[in-house]
Amino acid sequence: MRLYAIRRQEPLKWGSCLVFPAALAFSLAFCCLLLAIQGKPPLTGLASLFAGAFGSHHALQDTLLKAVPIFLCALGVAVAFRMQIWNIGAEGQYALGAVGATWAALAFPDAPRPVLIPLMLLSGGLAGGMWALIPALLKVRLRVNEIISTLMLNYIGINFLDWLVYGAWKDPASFGFPMTARFSPSALFPRLPGTRLHLGLALCALAGVAVWLWLSRTRLGYEVKAAGSGPRASVYARMDYGFLVCLVMAVCGVLAGTAGLTETVASAGRLQPSIMAGYGYTAIVVAWLARLNPLSIAVAAFLLAGLRVGVENLQLSLQVPAAFGGILEGCILLSVLAGQFVTGFRFRVERDEGRAETEGAA
Amino acid sequence: MSIELLIPLLAAAVQSGTPVLFATLGELVTERSGTLNLGVEGMLLMGAFSGFFVCILTGSPWLGFVAGGVGAMLLASLHGLVTIVFLGNQVVSGLALTILGVGLADFLGQPFIGQKVAGFSKYALPGLADLPALGPIFFRQDALVYCSYLAAPLVWFLFARTSLGLALDAAGENPKAAKAAGLSVASLRWFGLLAGAFLAGLGGAYLSLAYTQFWTSNLSAGRGWIAVALVIFAFWRPRGAVLGAYLFGGVMAFQLRLQAAGANLPSSLLLMLPYAMTILALIAANLRKGRAGAPAALGVNVEPEE
Amino acid sequence: MLRRLLDRILPPRVFEERPEPTAVFEASRPPVVRLERIVKRFGAVTANRDITLDIHAGRILALLGENGAGKSTLMSILSGRYHPDEGRILVDGEPTRFSSSRDAIRAGIGMVYQHFMLVPTMTVAQNVLLGQEGGFLLAPRAMEARVDALAQRYGLEIRASARVAELSMGERQRVEILRLLARNSRVLIFDEPTAVLTEPEAGKLFDALRRMASQEKAIVFISHKLEEVLSIADEIAILRRGAVVDRMPRTDVSSKSELAERMVGRGIALQMGREPAARGEVVLELEGLSGNGLEDLSLDVRRGEIVAVVGVAGNGQKQLVETVTGLVPPEEGVVRILGREWRDFYAQPRWEETLAYIPEDRLGLATCPELDMVDNVLLTTRQGFSRGVFLERGRAAQTTTRLVEEHNVQPARPRTQAGKLSGGNLQKLVIAREFFRRPKIIVAEQPTQGLDIAATEEVWKSLLAARQGAGILLVTGDLTEALELADRVAVMYRGRFIDVIATDDEERLASLGLLMAGVKE
Repeated sequence: MRLYAIRRQEPLKWGSCLVFPAALAFSLAFCCLLLAIQGKPPLTGLASLFAGAFGSHHALQDTLLKAVPIFLCALGVAVAFRMQIWNIGAEGQYALGAVGATWAALAFPDAPRPVLIPLMLLSGGLAGGMWALIPALLKVRLRVNEIISTLMLNYIGINFLDWLVYGAWKDPASFGFPMTARFSPSALFPRLPGTRLHLGLALCALAGVAVWLWLSRTRLGYEVKAAGSGPRASVYARMDYGFLVCLVMAVCGVLAGTAGLTETVASAGRLQPSIMAGYGYTAIVVAWLARLNPLSIAVAAFLLAGLRVGVENLQLSLQVPAAFGGILEGCILLSVLAGQFVTGFRFRVERDEGRAETEGAA
Repeated sequence: MSIELLIPLLAAAVQSGTPVLFATLGELVTERSGTLNLGVEGMLLMGAFSGFFVCILTGSPWLGFVAGGVGAMLLASLHGLVTIVFLGNQVVSGLALTILGVGLADFLGQPFIGQKVAGFSKYALPGLADLPALGPIFFRQDALVYCSYLAAPLVWFLFARTSLGLALDAAGENPKAAKAAGLSVASLRWFGLLAGAFLAGLGGAYLSLAYTQFWTSNLSAGRGWIAVALVIFAFWRPRGAVLGAYLFGGVMAFQLRLQAAGANLPSSLLLMLPYAMTILALIAANLRKGRAGAPAALGVNVEPEE
Repeated sequence: MLRRLLDRILPPRVFEERPEPTAVFEASRPPVVRLERIVKRFGAVTANRDITLDIHAGRILALLGENGAGKSTLMSILSGRYHPDEGRILVDGEPTRFSSSRDAIRAGIGMVYQHFMLVPTMTVAQNVLLGQEGGFLLAPRAMEARVDALAQRYGLEIRASARVAELSMGERQRVEILRLLARNSRVLIFDEPTAVLTEPEAGKLFDALRRMASQEKAIVFISHKLEEVLSIADEIAILRRGAVVDRMPRTDVSSKSELAERMVGRGIALQMGREPAARGEVVLELEGLSGNGLEDLSLDVRRGEIVAVVGVAGNGQKQLVETVTGLVPPEEGVVRILGREWRDFYAQPRWEETLAYIPEDRLGLATCPELDMVDNVLLTTRQGFSRGVFLERGRAAQTTTRLVEEHNVQPARPRTQAGKLSGGNLQKLVIAREFFRRPKIIVAEQPTQGLDIAATEEVWKSLLAARQGAGILLVTGDLTEALELADRVAVMYRGRFIDVIATDDEERLASLGLLMAGVKE
């Protein structure tokens, strides 16, 4: 008996609705197994994970807030991935965005809020965008592989942030801790009364709608999609491939930079190395899970933010290391990748009646 | 710089280049067979952890060394499952592998943080160690460095002189041609992936068993990514991999020396050096004329025929 | 008239040396391979229905049929790539089942694909002996010697140590053939082998085919070119809509049109009947265009005329097209398009009433395989569907539906991905899109390569009709096409126009073959 896989003429429409939950279940089961191996109660662990993420008003707010930087980064990553530009550099662009915004906050502490916040958005977005332009230009002008260059720039960007907070920007009153001084109140995001939800959420909604409109309704968005098929067809169609590469990278950089700024301003109120929590990498997982679709990215970002918050809870309750979140994310992504096979292919089992005959004859 | 300073620096360059060399050669084998595995960073860490763990368990560093390779192979088999069997996107799967591998090594290794291990110590090769300049640089190292000296010629021999190497190249350059010649592309790619992962795992084991000899989180510090870059820099040739790995060993050793010497530069800036160098190396590689390109089918999955 | 001309330029290859196979011969020897009642379905489409076919050693069987008639599917079944849904394959009278191409190779059946299955970075010897190098360790010298010996035996001229990347298409094909011979294949299948060859190379191939047949190999020759089939085959099987509709010895066929009728199932006009069109203004001017492999090219193309550029591939046609279509700037000399200098013209390209380019590479250059037909129509017309920064997708979808209907693109669903269309339908889509732009000058590169007769006819009609509003530069390797369509033929040799001849000048046309080989008296 043999099993054959045959590519479907059109992929299963409802397939992805099935694959994602299955992948999630599989990954959670795998993680339970890991917990059990370490002698920790897996079911209690699961419960603690869910309670931490979605179990209470407070938990949901946490999750929602964490979803903000993840969503913004993932949106940017998805734009680049649409054009088959493998930008792994959201993490570094995020760092630079944080640095850019911090510069504005430290340089103009006395500016009123309506001036300072737009200024920070501008400087943070610009810093992230410029950082992303470096690998874009390297790719367009010198054919440097963007996977490598964006990754290397992540390391460089994070070290740059460290250099600033350990050096020039260190708060003299921080008792040697690497962090800047607290931002002035006018640099902080306004919050929804009675909650901790802040301006970042509105930014997400705005960015999500804008990106969706751009990609699906405008000519430039169409060009991004068409250029994703490769540089050859875009040159034939007289599109400026190099410009499009720079554009999607810059957009990704601006979005990731905004994410970095949101996190700096809203969660810490100052620049410190702990804002580098790997959102840029989680964003890749989210973008791919959502199949690069802006609306799905919102859902996936919320879910993965929930996992992160849940893992933090797990850390407290069962002393599980933070790396658990990475395992979960990697596992989900791998199983979704494998699971997408089911939507693209169908299977056929064939019994070998002729075989015995042939072999007997030969 | 005086010769007394230079020779220890070069010796240190060889030492810190060794894990990168293992990883680069491994990724080279994998990519020549047509699979892009961006999970090197994860495989290095899994190799480092499995090596460390087995060495603690058995007391034998050699068993640990081999276990490092096996641990990375186990992790890489996930990449094989996703890309070779289920035809998932190789770039994304490799990234996922790194995320997973880093997480797993961190998670499993947490109880061992700070623990020391009796790994490999330096061993001067009789005769060779007394050569002027070359001796102290190359032949007063630990046994694993000597292993790495064998690895590069071995990989070269595989591709230049064996039918297996030819078949691997065919699977990476034109899988349809390989198939038409009656070769099993899937098996070849599995071989390339796992053999490459084994080498990367050895590099990881080198980190924990010879380089640091104790366990801490994130031992590899981006070396896996540098290895991926070096494969491009080396134009997929073993000789280039050796050159690139030692070049980067040199940069890392230099940066460590500067830090140790209390140079008047913040460590964060020095830490950028290897990464910035990687980008520069890629630019330099792309500027060279008449280069051989990547395997033509690198990153392209092979669909099953009906 | 055309027929006569073509015959003068390229005398049909007739072979008299070999004795005609007789019926006795057929009866006395069992076939090497017998396909019995083969059925193959792809979803709702039946690609092969109830096909029975015998393949004999020492003979050349031509499998003739239009694209989509099921030739390639049938041969893929025979070479082990597909499994038949029904029916069986008998090798030497024994029922055999191939679960992969490896099994077929082992049974002595090998296929030379249209797209060569070679590794360009490897040497000839490595390619030929890939998978059977004879031991784990390689011995390059011995491998080259083996391949050289094999090549000599079958008269296939090749240097075993050369890298495949440096070889011409004809030489690459020889490598493919050698690979099968090295595996002791007894049945060699050729899928449209002359599609990529120049005339002299095709001649050499035919010689080699006869030589192989005389050494007891069974040859299956898949084609839709009637002349070729008539000149090479011992036996002809005609496939139509998945079924073998006719089988006959070559000797039973009296004329090409008879064969064509049997193949298509209706009388087709191979003569296009070219209506004269009024000449208009000059739309393309080349003056001393040089550099990038081109040498002093001068040519005018006016509205209402088709100028064909012919020649053996690789004599600068590609560079010429790249320059005219704006992909590569001219190094020396002047290129004027619609009265404007090259740089000026391409600084702000318009989307309509301009230059349209129908490239040889339909999938990947002219279209994006993953995108649907609407998005592919937008590829070059997007400026026409823009309102501000936005794109009028609804209007684009309507237009696509209309174009698809008008140009008879199948399937007529605009949401079908371009990559899923057959070659002919894809070309029709490209032409529909480019003509929608109401071009004033059209550069068409090998517009009918790989298309079947019906699709070729439609493309030719479209091009002739387009003359009313445009001048056409037709770059083709197919002389029939050039003479059918063009008003003038420019012969390209080593980057130069060696001669430009009006197609009503029969005397000078007679020297076309020589001119293409660079001989000018």
